[in-house]
Amino acid sequence: MIYNMYIFDRHCQCIYYHDWHRGHTAKPTFDPHGDPLASHQSTGGGGGSTTTTTTMTDPRQGMNMSLEEEGKLVYGVVYSLRNLVKKLGKNQDGFIAYKTSHYKLHYYETLTGLKFVINSDPNVESLQQALRQIYTQIYVELVVKNPLACATIISGQVNPETMGAEGFRNGVDRFVRSLTMFDTL
Amino acid sequence: MTKQYKTLGDDIWKNKVEKINAELFTLTYGSIVAQLVKDYEDFTEVNKQLEKMGYNIGTRLIEDFLARSGVGRCQDFRETAEMVSKVGFKMFLNITPAVTNISADGREFSLVLDENPLAECVELPDQALVDELWYSNILCGVLRGSLEMVQMQVDAFFVTDTLRGDDMTEIRVKLIRYLEEEVPAGED
Repeated sequence: MIYNMYIFDRHCQCIYYHDWHRGHTAKPTFDPHGDPLASHQSTGGGGGSTTTTTTMTDPRQGMNMSLEEEGKLVYGVVYSLRNLVKKLGKNQDGFIAYKTSHYKLHYYETLTGLKFVINSDPNVESLQQALRQIYTQIYVELVVKNPLACATIISGQVNPETMGAEGFRNGVDRFVRSLTMFDTL
Repeated sequence: MTKQYKTLGDDIWKNKVEKINAELFTLTYGSIVAQLVKDYEDFTEVNKQLEKMGYNIGTRLIEDFLARSGVGRCQDFRETAEMVSKVGFKMFLNITPAVTNISADGREFSLVLDENPLAECVELPDQALVDELWYSNILCGVLRGSLEMVQMQVDAFFVTDTLRGDDMTEIRVKLIRYLEEEVPAGED
């Protein structure tokens, strides 16, 4: 099962967010550190974000600015892990995924500093190919080649809903839904 | 090593690139330059605008390049030079400029273009020759923009141009520095 996806640009900003099964609970245990990537149905899970009882349709209802904060948290995790792996081994692309008891985070980075992050349930195999395909077939085709889409080079706000390219959200949605592990657990 | 870049470049050109009419391309570029000359009337300004346009193109072109070629990071600047000429230029313009005059410290190189699809059947007016118009300056911008997106700050400029009556068309590329990756705010 695929939970959600983030795209970060080379300026450390979250430029795109898409979620599918975010409200789904892999393990409904109370997590004292308020793991923002797992279920949001635990009320009062710390982390400084006010969690009210949320619905499956829009788990972030009632949480202001949380996409930005969450984006920063995820970016920080991914950035630190990537540097750690790079220091421990010589390979440039060492860090590709990590797994916890709640979720597995898959990571793909391009040479231009664009970072793709997908969270899925812990049993999913590697999504490297899928991430690479999202980059080459969807991002490059619909955002880079679209002169009206902000490909983050322009400093300023990038709309994390669409990135200025109409077809991008649909393209990503269609692609991820077509993956076999999309809704299997 | 250069052999494998050459084969990679040829392979991508043959299979993965949609091709367009070369004359349409040349004429479109020519009309852009002509319009810029008419608007600005100052050839140094036209050079600057062409370079700026090239920069914007380059920042996006690199993503297309990486997506299509799937190559990894180059080990040094020499390798970058080979990659640019054998794979990059081949993929987008179907030419392979020769890499020459690599400086001793490996931080500069020249690209010698023996054919330039942008400048087919182009003649410069006398005023342009006097005032130093670099007709294909957009290429310098593209090089600067695309290399900046992969963490290299370079300076690219024309040294000679056959359109101006020189023997060959040469672009000099100088590495200024490697750029550091941006650190998220609040981290040291």
